[in-house]
Amino acid sequence: MGQPLVGLRVVELGGTVAAAAATKRFSDFGGSVIAVEPPGGGEARRVPPFPGDRPHIDRGAFHLAFNTGKRSLVLDHRTPSGREVIARLAAWSELLILDLHPAEARRILDLVDADEGPCTVVITPHGMDGPYRERMENDLSLFAWSTRAHRHSIQGREPLRYAPFLGMAQVGSTAAAVGIAALWGRRQDGLRRDAEISAVEAITGNVDTSFFLWAVNNAVQPRAAGQSRAMYPAGAWPCRDGHVLFAAGREPFFSRVCEAIGRPEIARDPRFADLSRKPLHFDDFAPVLREWLATRTKYEVFEHMQRYQAMTVPLLDASEVTADPQMVARGSYVEVEQPGIGTVTIAGSPFHMDGVGGDAWRARPSPELGEHGPEILGELGYSADEQIALFRAGVTG
Amino acid sequence: MSGEALRGLRIIELAEVWAGPFGCSLLGDLGAEVIKLESYPRTSTTRPLTVPDARVADGPGPVYERANTHHHGNRNKRNIAVDIRRPEGAEVLRRLVRRADVLVESFSAGTIGRLGFGWEAVHALNPRLTMISLAGWGQEGPYQGYVMYGAGFEAMSGLASVRGYPGAPVEELIPTLHSDSTVPLALIFAVVTAAIRREESGEGSYVDLAQIEELATQIPGVLGEWTLNGRVPPRLGNADPHVVPHGCYRAGSGDGWVAIAAETDEQWAGLARAMGHAEWAADGHPWASLPGRLRDREAVDRAVGEWAQGGEPYEIADRVQAAGAIGAPANPPEGPLYSPQLHERGWFQSVDHPYLPNRLLGGFLWRLAPDGPSWDLRCGLLGEHNREVLLELGYADAEVDALAGSDVIGDRYPDPPPPGREG
Repeated sequence: MGQPLVGLRVVELGGTVAAAAATKRFSDFGGSVIAVEPPGGGEARRVPPFPGDRPHIDRGAFHLAFNTGKRSLVLDHRTPSGREVIARLAAWSELLILDLHPAEARRILDLVDADEGPCTVVITPHGMDGPYRERMENDLSLFAWSTRAHRHSIQGREPLRYAPFLGMAQVGSTAAAVGIAALWGRRQDGLRRDAEISAVEAITGNVDTSFFLWAVNNAVQPRAAGQSRAMYPAGAWPCRDGHVLFAAGREPFFSRVCEAIGRPEIARDPRFADLSRKPLHFDDFAPVLREWLATRTKYEVFEHMQRYQAMTVPLLDASEVTADPQMVARGSYVEVEQPGIGTVTIAGSPFHMDGVGGDAWRARPSPELGEHGPEILGELGYSADEQIALFRAGVTG
Repeated sequence: MSGEALRGLRIIELAEVWAGPFGCSLLGDLGAEVIKLESYPRTSTTRPLTVPDARVADGPGPVYERANTHHHGNRNKRNIAVDIRRPEGAEVLRRLVRRADVLVESFSAGTIGRLGFGWEAVHALNPRLTMISLAGWGQEGPYQGYVMYGAGFEAMSGLASVRGYPGAPVEELIPTLHSDSTVPLALIFAVVTAAIRREESGEGSYVDLAQIEELATQIPGVLGEWTLNGRVPPRLGNADPHVVPHGCYRAGSGDGWVAIAAETDEQWAGLARAMGHAEWAADGHPWASLPGRLRDREAVDRAVGEWAQGGEPYEIADRVQAAGAIGAPANPPEGPLYSPQLHERGWFQSVDHPYLPNRLLGGFLWRLAPDGPSWDLRCGLLGEHNREVLLELGYADAEVDALAGSDVIGDRYPDPPPPGREG
């Protein structure tokens, strides 16, 4: 059927991981996205890893994954000349996504025509107002703020972030979601909308956090002491060639695990069936399961447990994920021919609209920094001499 | 003015736990009309029937209306409880499908088809309807029908392999539910993308949103270590190979922690000043440069760690931020309540519930002007809107009574309670 977002025009400003992750959704579904990047390239191009550990502005893994299909314009938006270009881009676009310092973002928003301009989404660490509006945060500190670092760490030890830049990617997904909703609303009722995302609020208000849960039941729960010895089997357990992960502490899954290992009577044993007694008998149960696991590979355990509808999966590392049979069958990872590098493997579509293998989603190569400057400036009506003037003064690059 | 961006979109939710329900709450925040059709008399997994259960708040009323996990993901929608495995219940769902724009379902792959509401069936009932399936591994492929939730997708995506304490036994890994936080956002994108397509085609789309595939899009750094360099990325904890300091440090006397990082020389100079050692950032000092701090990682970490113990987390974070570096309290569950920023911005939401009155809950993910989100509907009670919704679907009052009398719909679980929902 073709790509659903063809004709939709999006401008991104800031060059951050969050902004890049946000607009990638639009470009991969057919939207026309212009990434306005700071001179020298921004965060999304500078974070590792790089092929061969050689830093290169066009070769970072985040850039290769999050800038697919976009056009790149290098522009210093802090100059009057830069802002004039932004004003023309804003007029061209239907959606403008900014990840900038609040004061800089405010100056850009002032360029947007209140009626005719695009919908806007502004991303900042703490929001555009309030006592913390000037604060800088990074992925680590966002996880700290949000309660998630604390929630998924061990009592008495340091709270932990997740993977590098994962929080920023989530903020980007948040911006994409509210951005496409805003422009849909505008197409329906004609009302231009401005969204504002505080990264702290976007992550703290989402799930997989503790504040909301605490606020409902006010129960102070200690952090985990390690592997769960109360609602087991849960978490990682060793098997012959690695680990599997169980989420089978509650019924009906506990019974299914017991049946799957040929010991259905364990689930009926009051030591385990009575949830008030179960935490006292972890050491009675664990050796039985460990012995069964010890002779089986993680994929053998996975396939066997799933036949019993018991929630169990293999723990995979980066070398294994692209070979997983399900991911292979669905084309969950795709190859992009990236000029200057060759074939690059990245994650594929976040969802399939026309069945697996459909053409609603397509990743095209990521642009070189500033690759489309002359093309974009020409489309915006700048003459050759005007473009030279901007370049000579360092406004474009 | 409450959310209106998605005004007019009617959503039916047949989903459990977080990814689907929270996504539908966000659609409600944006103005969509969401009806949660909850399984009945089988209970949702987020509605425990007995105490003790750590998820349940003290208070009056049924246990299953007081579980915190159920409340986090069910605002701004109406609740009907229907046994769609019975013909009369299936008819309720058919009527909903005929007037809806989107059906969101999170059953294991294949289940919705066996219930008579697979894509072809609902498409025949209402060609304009978009159906979004959230099975963890998607609808097609060898794992069809397999069961798991967020913790398992994290394990199979590679994300879990880089989390946790460096060098610690894998068994100590605490599972996360990251996909539950990002799938709802992708769900919104899918709903609107399908709506845009329908403007042209006149027909709804079928969207196969595999939670593990969505999660895979979030971690290019993990995959890139392998695909670009043939390396399995290590468990780093809070460390960053290229930024020192970058960690969580004990603050104060109790189990308090503060995250501190200095990503640039400028941030380091501010942090050094805050620590009373401006000379640590002066030319010639071994810690003044980025490479110097990487070389002396342990000593820098130790110095920051010793200093951070001199105050409580918020206090230390304030000092670090005042000096221009990155600092944040590593909040325990109640921590956000102490943020002047969140109060000043009016982020917390005061919500009244019959059994959980006067709660100050976490707020919205965004502001939107002029029609920002508002908490119009608190978490619905089981079957609270049965009559209201069924009347809208054309049922007469007497018919609603009959459905309730024969337990096709309900607003309380029978006593003794039935076993939990399966699959």
